Amino acid sequence: MRFTIYQESRVGGRANNEDRTTYCYSRDALLMVVADGMGGHHYGEIAAQIAVQTLADAFQREARPLLADPFRFLLKGMTNAHHAILDYTARHKLSDTPRTTCVACVVQDNVAYWAHAGDSRLFLMRDGRVMAQTKDHSRIRLLIEEGMITETQAAFHPDRNKIYSCLGSPTPPEIEFSRKTPLDHGDILLLCTDGLWGEISGDMMAVALKGTNLLQTIPMVLNQADAKGGPHRDNLSVVAVRWEDAYVEEASSSISTQTMTQDEVTTRLEEFGRNPAYKSELSESEIEDAIEEIRNAIDKYNPKK
Amino acid sequence: MAQQANQPLPNGHQLEEYTIDRQLSLGGFSIVYLATAPEGRQVAIKEYLPNSLALRSRGEINPVITAEHLGAFRYGMKCFFEEGRALARLSHPNVIRVLNFFRANDTVYMVMEYEHGRTLQEFIQKHQGHISERFIRGVFTRMLNGLREVHSNKLLHLDLKPSNIYLRGDNTPVLIDFGAARQTLITDQPILKPMYTPGFASPEHYGTRKDLGPWSDIYSVGASMYACLAGVAPQAADSRMKKDTLAPAMVRWDGQYSDRLLEIIDWCLNLNHLYRPQSVFALQKALVEAITPPRPKTNPNWLGRFVDKFRNPLR
Repeated sequence: MRFTIYQESRVGGRANNEDRTTYCYSRDALLMVVADGMGGHHYGEIAAQIAVQTLADAFQREARPLLADPFRFLLKGMTNAHHAILDYTARHKLSDTPRTTCVACVVQDNVAYWAHAGDSRLFLMRDGRVMAQTKDHSRIRLLIEEGMITETQAAFHPDRNKIYSCLGSPTPPEIEFSRKTPLDHGDILLLCTDGLWGEISGDMMAVALKGTNLLQTIPMVLNQADAKGGPHRDNLSVVAVRWEDAYVEEASSSISTQTMTQDEVTTRLEEFGRNPAYKSELSESEIEDAIEEIRNAIDKYNPKK
Repeated sequence: MAQQANQPLPNGHQLEEYTIDRQLSLGGFSIVYLATAPEGRQVAIKEYLPNSLALRSRGEINPVITAEHLGAFRYGMKCFFEEGRALARLSHPNVIRVLNFFRANDTVYMVMEYEHGRTLQEFIQKHQGHISERFIRGVFTRMLNGLREVHSNKLLHLDLKPSNIYLRGDNTPVLIDFGAARQTLITDQPILKPMYTPGFASPEHYGTRKDLGPWSDIYSVGASMYACLAGVAPQAADSRMKKDTLAPAMVRWDGQYSDRLLEIIDWCLNLNHLYRPQSVFALQKALVEAITPPRPKTNPNWLGRFVDKFRNPLR
């Protein structure tokens, strides 16, 4: 596999960032996740963290180096995350469950598989055009499809943020799956939260990103969205990958997974909390992470006989 | 401040899937228990419980950690994680194996393999001064295999001593207790004092500790070998720095052990770290190399012997 990948999450005009992003890859498979914790509910960021963490952990366990069944993996991972959020709610006796949207994409054997719940989107871009995108699970999307309102009206509709499917709500999430989508050289998969697509449409991004180095252009797109949004603009987060044919030598920043061992998985996941570097003592989640890391090391180096 | 001793968990206590059998040892930093795993095998469980920061009174399970100590307690936990991390990555027959790591009772636990045997310390006490050279060479050469693995993971043990070298039933040595193996972390937190054992700690252990390196563990190896011969720990390095009264092994046991072994012990115990073996490999090589005393060559034929006579008329 050869690809260039970039992720970034910005706080926007809000007090805290309730978005989470992650990507992990093994030698033959890649996982990307974006989750948008619900601002209207408490602990939205916890729900988002649980979602990305659950999927990333599952990927680390199961990508050896291929996933047996990507769709099943996505379904299981998102369902598990949903239940993990409910468990968290019960354990901490929260009056209202934290919720999060989730969009996740697996690429292996040059085929992309994705699934989503809520209004975080995935765009597949080819030659500066959007080839495919997820359909938001929002009331406004239903209204548009019924022809009640137009796209332009939707952008200012008071209900534009209401969604009917997400992880962590008392009703089980509606998880929608893509088709198996073969990727061409140069295809871009972009997963983002509404903070980004609300400001800059998918078509605009497709044009802007065409044939560029994502490591440079994604930050520029984010700058633009940051500038366009008002003082109360939402968090904006993105994971984008440019798929590259193995035979073409291009961007030096691209990642080749050919040299990785079968069991190796690389994960890029932001630590929980603002900036762990400023903290001198361990937080709860750092303790959990440390224990998890040690357990992983035990499993890896000293497998039970 | 008087320091209270922590109460161990009661015998028979169910800790996750393990049943506590009894307490094995109590240190300033932790308590070690013997426990039974669900599949029936015995394990050693180390509980992080620094007695200056957390206190478990009689009859209680969760220790009391006051708010003022919570920061330091968590910091020490970081060190405990370092130990766990270090050990989890090491998979070597001469290094103790970590089986599990979990969080319970407001603190953390590390589950390690347990086998019947005894520490080298116990062995030394039992065989006061009657340990064979063969045994010393055998145990230390294999123990150094483990230490080499430790060093190759960019880690120092820093608390090597006979009581941290465990001998299995067949006398295979296993390195245990990596509680001090956290190098740089410790220095900036005064509450958790660096750990070392007088007699086995190198001169670099004292003071600023900036010169610590593989050679520091090697000093401890030398001190442990010395203790095997003497039956007690050698003079502590800090007092040696003031007035060195340690009799060199070469002088003290001349004729009882091979010169090479005694030489190696003195080599390891050099106060200047630059004059010690610089790597475990160098030390190991010295320990296993065959002893071949130099022998003069003699020319076999009569003419050669005749010529030799003229060359060395004194012989």
